Amino acid sequence: MQTGKFDRYASILFALLGAAFLIESRNISKSAYGSEVGPNVFPFLLGLILILLSVKLFLESFKNIQKEKKNKESLQIKRFIIILTASLLYAGFIETLGYILSTFLFLFVSFQAMERGSWIKNGVIALAFSFFVYYLFVVVLKGSLPGMPIWFS
Amino acid sequence: MGVMDFLMQGFQTAIQPQNIFFAFIGVLIGTAVGVLPGIGPMSGVALLIPVTATFTSGMDPSAAATSSIILLAGVYYGAMYGGSTTSILLNTPGESSSVVTTLDGYQMARQGRAGAALSIAAIGSFFAGIVSIIGLVLLADPLSEMALKFGPAEYFSLMLLGLAAVSGLAGGSIAKAWMMTVTGLLIATIGIDAVSGVARFTYDIPVLFGGLEFLTVAVGLFALGEVFKTVLHKEEEAEKVAKVGRVIPSRADLKESAGPIARGSFLGFFIGVLPGAGATLASFFSYIAEKKISKNPEKFGKGAIAGVAAPESANNAASGGAMIPLLTLGIPGSGTTAILMGALIMYNVQPGPLLFSDHPDVAWGLIASMFIGNLMLLILNMPLVKVFAKIIETPAKYLLPIIIAISVFGVYAVQVTTFDLFLLIGFGLAGYLLAQNDYPIAPLVLGLVLGPMIENNMRRALTTSNGDFMVFVQQPISAFFLVCAVLWILVPFFLRLKGKNVVVNVEG
Repeated sequence: MQTGKFDRYASILFALLGAAFLIESRNISKSAYGSEVGPNVFPFLLGLILILLSVKLFLESFKNIQKEKKNKESLQIKRFIIILTASLLYAGFIETLGYILSTFLFLFVSFQAMERGSWIKNGVIALAFSFFVYYLFVVVLKGSLPGMPIWFS
Repeated sequence: MGVMDFLMQGFQTAIQPQNIFFAFIGVLIGTAVGVLPGIGPMSGVALLIPVTATFTSGMDPSAAATSSIILLAGVYYGAMYGGSTTSILLNTPGESSSVVTTLDGYQMARQGRAGAALSIAAIGSFFAGIVSIIGLVLLADPLSEMALKFGPAEYFSLMLLGLAAVSGLAGGSIAKAWMMTVTGLLIATIGIDAVSGVARFTYDIPVLFGGLEFLTVAVGLFALGEVFKTVLHKEEEAEKVAKVGRVIPSRADLKESAGPIARGSFLGFFIGVLPGAGATLASFFSYIAEKKISKNPEKFGKGAIAGVAAPESANNAASGGAMIPLLTLGIPGSGTTAILMGALIMYNVQPGPLLFSDHPDVAWGLIASMFIGNLMLLILNMPLVKVFAKIIETPAKYLLPIIIAISVFGVYAVQVTTFDLFLLIGFGLAGYLLAQNDYPIAPLVLGLVLGPMIENNMRRALTTSNGDFMVFVQQPISAFFLVCAVLWILVPFFLRLKGKNVVVNVEG
């Protein structure tokens, strides 16, 4: 997307964000014991400033759009979508599948998505990383990470 | 006790075996971070915070804070050493602060003098590191003494000046930079208010009561944002890595670069102390300065050793100088120091004037360890430069997924909620989109770190003045800071109006 167009949408989003903080700050209690200025003042002011800045950017974005030259670059959407989905699944299943299994699966899928390669080599690297981190953190440093799922062991 | 006594105590802390180990790991990883294109000092330091948090989990809080900050600072100045390696060997800077080094460094490599360029860069960085540490030692006490006299109004204005400096110099659009700053400040208000105990913007969701964790936001915006960018955009064809050749510089090289190193160090140090200006500007200015005073300026860009020595000294000195406002005033002047500050706050150590009286072991231990770390870097970099050059060849297909895995591990190990993992990915996407469209990210993180302090000081000042906002202008020192802040915004604005090209800091 062109930066100018992005700026226009972004400025609307940021203005909404500012407005949300502005409106919601009115629900915060206005006074605090022993303090002249309540906890609502700071977010209220910031929300206002953010809206004003967004308006400025919104106006600026029209100027920028004409200046821009078309500079198309092919994006690797497919590999990005795979890795993003894999990351989301990784985050969602890390507790149910356990650290080692989920990390192995995530890395294996991502390695393949980055560049098709040898299954064995990628698998070994993914497995080695998962085990190494788990061993170092849980066994050596006595930290805690989700272990293997019950049905696995 | 005088400064020397404190420094000696600092050395006692720094030479404890675990701290030497941490300094070593820090500078080693830092050099690797500097060498690897794609991971800058900001994402490197952010990524390592959770890792150090787990390493130091068994120690008592103060010792843990000392060890972690020693490691993290090592990453910071180590990256400044490493950044030169790719500039010289590949013509691709590992960091934005090494961009100018490519001009002469790569030319030297093409003439077969890569080894000399690399070692001069290491020697210059070492000298600059020592200069900046001496400056830190000399300035730490008087500055923190002065800052101790500040009241809440002065602090509020000083922090505003810090924000103005960083936002004013970050990126092309002032509106964008300020939007990022304000967004950071707004995000910081989520959670339980420290002054009144009122929950703000939490909507009774338990994970929000503690606020959005700084670590999650920083790792997401910097590390994941950078990874997403590299995944989406085709990587450029890898250029051939130039041969390193003879590492020991010749006598003529040393003689020729002595002046540039000294000048670069001092210039870099003073630029580093200023908030907002950072290592990138320092290297840029020192290169221009050398070219101006040189007897044969036509040699620059064709492999002049001064063109490597000066900027590499300057960027390292700047990274040391940037520690001064952080440690003595509690005001980070750049993205990386903001992250270091966030790390210290995680350990309940508040950077600022009280740091030197409340936690002298942390402050002086860090300063002393910077001496040791710089020495290690010199020793590491001279013989191992060929090994580090090999790191460049790490295939991206393994590196990128592993960075995601380390981010997930780090955030989960510290936060232990999947909510933070989704937040991490969300901020990663945001970081990519924002950076892609010239929204500087460093001001957001700075706002997030300084937010609670700015708000508390503002409210304390307003409480004593019975809600009168004039208090910030009536106190002379506070008014002075505010005037500086306003000038910092207005001067570049007017220069731009007059059609002058304003140098902006891309590093943040």
